[in-house]
Amino acid sequence: MSRRVFTFMGSDIAFRTGETIAAALDAAGVADLGRDAVGNDVRYFCGIGACQCCLALVDGMPGETCLIPAREGMTVEILEARR
Amino acid sequence: MTDPDVLIVGAGPAGLAAACEIRRSGLSVEIVEQRSSIGGAIYRQPVAGVEALPQARAVQDRWRSLSAEFAAGGVPVRFACVFLGIDGAGKVLVEDRSAGMVRQLVVRAVIVAVGAVEKIEPRPGWQLAGITTAGGLQVMMKETGRPPAGRVLLAGSGPLLMAIAAQMTALGNPPVAIIEAGAPLRRLGRGLLLASHTGLLKEALGYLWTVRRARVPWLRGTQVRAISRTQGGIRALVSDGRNRETVFWVDRIGLHDGIRPNDFGLPPEAAGSATSPLILHAGDCREALGAEAAIADGRRAAARAIRSLTGKSSSSSHSIGKFRRAQAILSDLFAPAGMGADDRLMTLPDETVLCRCENRTIGDLKRLCGVRDPLTGREVKHNGRFAMGACQGRFCAAATAQLMARLRPDLASPGPKDLTGQRWPIRPVSIAALVAGTDQTDTILPDSKTTKET
Repeated sequence: MSRRVFTFMGSDIAFRTGETIAAALDAAGVADLGRDAVGNDVRYFCGIGACQCCLALVDGMPGETCLIPAREGMTVEILEARR
Repeated sequence: MTDPDVLIVGAGPAGLAAACEIRRSGLSVEIVEQRSSIGGAIYRQPVAGVEALPQARAVQDRWRSLSAEFAAGGVPVRFACVFLGIDGAGKVLVEDRSAGMVRQLVVRAVIVAVGAVEKIEPRPGWQLAGITTAGGLQVMMKETGRPPAGRVLLAGSGPLLMAIAAQMTALGNPPVAIIEAGAPLRRLGRGLLLASHTGLLKEALGYLWTVRRARVPWLRGTQVRAISRTQGGIRALVSDGRNRETVFWVDRIGLHDGIRPNDFGLPPEAAGSATSPLILHAGDCREALGAEAAIADGRRAAARAIRSLTGKSSSSSHSIGKFRRAQAILSDLFAPAGMGADDRLMTLPDETVLCRCENRTIGDLKRLCGVRDPLTGREVKHNGRFAMGACQGRFCAAATAQLMARLRPDLASPGPKDLTGQRWPIRPVSIAALVAGTDQTDTILPDSKTTKET
């Protein structure tokens, strides 16, 4: 099976089909998703889309990394990347 | 695409069970689900090629039977669709994320089955990266088949911590310790009441056995007092009932203080009318009693919808009394030793973050509650930004209301709903998606109540 990747802040992150962005980032050792508008850490927390703590820009749109399945070639950036 | 008679929100156990019943009645039915797979949090499916997490036989059998029944019914599921609420014209607003637009559905009944959220009590440092809910660690294990990496501390209260510790152990990375606020072994007499719930008891003993064999310390009557991040990782200060302190250095902490209905901002249950659908809640978002109860409650809600729409009634009963009794025993068994949650809130340092989204602290709330003309729950939200942020109060409204009650004992105690209110959208949605779902003939109306106020 070919290695499937998306990019996070310029680095390739491998994932398995069906995995969420959050799961792939976690496996790659990424726990810190930058800071939010009030300066708190952005990070995986509830895993069910309720807490809104794990937001990232997914192909430019903010979304919950714990809900969105990883897709080949997608671009994931921290919220601060375009502030 | 025509809108179905009945729309079900959430493809967890309650939603799936309700869908099966509605399908059998001959009414048309669809499910909207925020993820791209069915099962909900409790039955989160592993990705292809990954073995399901080791679980008690009864739990596996329950899922096998429900998913087979659901597959046979052929009910369509719209994935990546997030329920936003019901507008003033009775239209159900659903963000279809694949299409990048909000859809407005006209249906005869809506069954809302959006499950539970974990209760997380504020502790200094709980907002840091590396701190998750324990359930958050668990759903990721279910999805990936991998245990959370590194040194993991589980802390809070309740049987879920033990279950997660056992599953982490089975996957090869047992937690460093379980910090349990309750003292369940001192209340074993009450635990014996579980004898009539053999399934639960067997599951619990299985987990306990796995964790004991791996020599994971289960520190009962202890609590995490403070969390901070240092060069060596995350530092957790733990103390017991006699204020004896221990420091744990870890890479992650999974917190969990029980579960509660995910009922934030939901449209209330309502009988259908000419302008509005029948609205019912089902499963954990109505009363958080776990998956088995949710299946029964989904069927109950479906029977009510069928009766209301077709006049046909079913003879089967779907009582959840048994599950309510079991949960009551468990909460009693795991009741925190020492002071209660609201007393504990009063002991937290002022700089403790209460509302993470808006970075509001215990000290901020104390100042708001100190003003001469007391603020209502809504004013604490609007003036103080508590429960105002992106999570819509799901992780702070309960503690904020509890602390308000303690700070102003002479006033009526507010509840979480006094802060959050009930209105759409119950989840953040982009303006682009809202606009894409609106055309000139079709305007999204605010709630009638809001219209009167403005």
